[in-house]
Amino acid sequence: MNEHSRILEHEKLNIAEPLSDADLRLPAMVPREPFPIETLTPDARQQTRAVGQRATRPDGRLHGLGQTKYIDDLSFPGMLYARIKRAGIASARIKRIDTSAAEAMPGVMAVLTGKEIPTNTFGPTFQDQPVLVDEVVFHAGDGVAAVAAVTEQIANEALDKIVVEYEPLPAVLDPVAAMREDSPKVHAPDSNIYATKVIRKGDVEKGFAESDRIFEARFSTQMIEHVSLEPHAAIADWDANGRLTIYATIGRITLARSDMARTLKMPMSRIRIVATIVGGNFGGKNEITQEPALALLSKKTGRPVKGVFTRGEEFTSTTTRHPIIMDYKTGVTNKGRILARQIRLVLDGGAYCSWSSTTLGKACILSPGPYKIDNVLAEAFVVYTNKTMTGAMRGFGAPQVCFAYESHMDDIAKALGIDPLEIRLLNAFDEGSSSPTGQVLHSVVVKETLRKAADRFGWEPRS
Amino acid sequence: MKQRGRGIACMWYPIGFTVDANPSAATVKVNEDGTATVLTGTVETGQGSLTVLGQIAAEALGIATDDVHVVSADTDTTPMDTGAIASRTTYVTGNAIWLAAEAAKAILFETAAPMLGVKVSQLEAKDRKIQVKNYPQRNVSIAQVAHRSQVVLGQPAIGSASWNPPTVAMDPETGQGKPFATYVYATQIAEVDVDDETGEVEILRIAAAHDCGTAINPMLVEGQVEGGISMGVGMALQEEMLFDANGRHINPNLTNYIMPTSLDMPEITVDIVQGYDPTGPFGAKGVGEPTAVPTAAAVLNAIHDAVGVRVTSLPATAEKVLAAIKAKRATEQKQIPA
Repeated sequence: MNEHSRILEHEKLNIAEPLSDADLRLPAMVPREPFPIETLTPDARQQTRAVGQRATRPDGRLHGLGQTKYIDDLSFPGMLYARIKRAGIASARIKRIDTSAAEAMPGVMAVLTGKEIPTNTFGPTFQDQPVLVDEVVFHAGDGVAAVAAVTEQIANEALDKIVVEYEPLPAVLDPVAAMREDSPKVHAPDSNIYATKVIRKGDVEKGFAESDRIFEARFSTQMIEHVSLEPHAAIADWDANGRLTIYATIGRITLARSDMARTLKMPMSRIRIVATIVGGNFGGKNEITQEPALALLSKKTGRPVKGVFTRGEEFTSTTTRHPIIMDYKTGVTNKGRILARQIRLVLDGGAYCSWSSTTLGKACILSPGPYKIDNVLAEAFVVYTNKTMTGAMRGFGAPQVCFAYESHMDDIAKALGIDPLEIRLLNAFDEGSSSPTGQVLHSVVVKETLRKAADRFGWEPRS
Repeated sequence: MKQRGRGIACMWYPIGFTVDANPSAATVKVNEDGTATVLTGTVETGQGSLTVLGQIAAEALGIATDDVHVVSADTDTTPMDTGAIASRTTYVTGNAIWLAAEAAKAILFETAAPMLGVKVSQLEAKDRKIQVKNYPQRNVSIAQVAHRSQVVLGQPAIGSASWNPPTVAMDPETGQGKPFATYVYATQIAEVDVDDETGEVEILRIAAAHDCGTAINPMLVEGQVEGGISMGVGMALQEEMLFDANGRHINPNLTNYIMPTSLDMPEITVDIVQGYDPTGPFGAKGVGEPTAVPTAAAVLNAIHDAVGVRVTSLPATAEKVLAAIKAKRATEQKQIPA
């Protein structure tokens, strides 16, 4: 007891010295000695100050021992297994769905179609995505019906018994063709261009006129899937009081709850979303997917319902990274200083908006690169196509435009005979530089990262 | 024959949403033994964010990482959070937790000031103690203060707060505005071998220098950089979803959609560039997404340096690189004078 503190006897802490972490943990499932799984820096978690410490993750031990409980490790009494029938056709009108043979199968407890969903649209920007399509198929990965059965095998077999008759519609697959006015419309009657962005700073024409050299190039990137180790998975439990609990592998529970409230027409107070340990997100688990369907199957059956996507569904039925066609035109002095840059980006938005307008904005703002350029014109368009929807993925368009502006930079450097490191140091932002949107930037260390990486790599200019 | 090349790429990347509000709220409860519980609506998606958030709370309260337990991701119990997106967790959720911890600490200080016979403004929390600034001998344990606050004074040390990054809307005509509160910067340099007979590219090493403001946990920053580079490697050389003429995805499996494995990974060195952002919790910004941004650009520049061909569409598969090498040779042969 510190002599300066005035603490009365009866106020004294009545807590025994706690046991150590090692005493409180469960024993490992593997012998401790041959497999040193103890932390590399055992003291880091005990240090004060806490910031700056190489503290180990408390979940790391559970992951290492295989004891982490993902959705697929959870089970509830009476739980059913859901599967979703996928359209398999990129663009079509649904003429008829016959679920009677599937419903008659022993072990099938419920079948759900899009027409039964109270509000069959969702999406973070535009609510253009159905939970299960009811009239028109927008891409081949769309769900047309969901089944809940006592085993996953029966649910799978039931999918084959569901008969869907389609009237094929023309599919739009090329984003540039989709921009033409005479192109078939993915979400008729609106234009396929569903969002645009412009950044205009200075006067690019004047900048080009003052430039010694002008360089032009086109770059393009591919569609990429997040490929999280754990697929999209959820369990829905609709209880007798009409309160819904969703256990889901989702990175944004607040948004998920509002999407659930919208699609199910339920007050938020009746919905509980619990995100379990998420086995990889990378932007792919930022919104709901099958959760409203699972909830309604649970409501129909009065039993908890689990749904786990297959790897195939991960690819065809969830969001992906935007392919972007990127046109760059850059005016420079002979010494390598960039005077003007004009950029045009066309993003393949896939069948639904999802996070496309965010990706569009970030790609457009970042597209000139981390460089001081007085004259910038960047225009970006995102268009619907009848393909897997593109959405949030690590970098929101930044890896694509970085590939373009940095490839372009090296081509300029080579043509002017300047070292690639030097031309970047010549143009890079400084503290207080103005960004393409006119923002004064603070804590800018791009040149420090260039010098540090060059030092570590051993970068020497070549004559 | 294998040709060696090097390529550099730098980048900038913003933290948080573009203009739109993306708030986080948090509650910090100091238990009566001096440990603490943090409630946050964000989700651990494998990046170690809960560890970092616990470290921020611990730092603000002057206790150790191990003293803090973070409860997350339950809409019934945890305060709202915009979630694990836009590299915002350390910066935005971190600021909310820091403010909530400060609010809880203010209650502890009110209790401690008369115990130590000084004013609240003279106190600091450090090494699991509340002590008088510049006179650390006069101190009392946080456990003792928290216990007294709750059990004697009936004033449990619980703080709640929210934070939203300040932005300025963009002009619709010119895009001028302040879309983000802060940005991070990075450079990666790649060294590759390109086989000029097969077009195959092997990435030998990558030097990565990343800014994240203060590195709350340098080990987890390094983990993010290595993970981001693996995504960048896939984007540069391998991964591509392919569709047939009817719009059906033709490689929806890991047999035909090729991803990098540990065997494809280059040797990586990570440097965390010293930085401090006064708007972030203890100077921190973020690091999640930017790690995947410059890799493909650096690799493609290295391919160009090695064999002199510019591949303008990703991924730079062996077929594509070889076709570009052959096309270059064809034009070079034409230039030979007769």
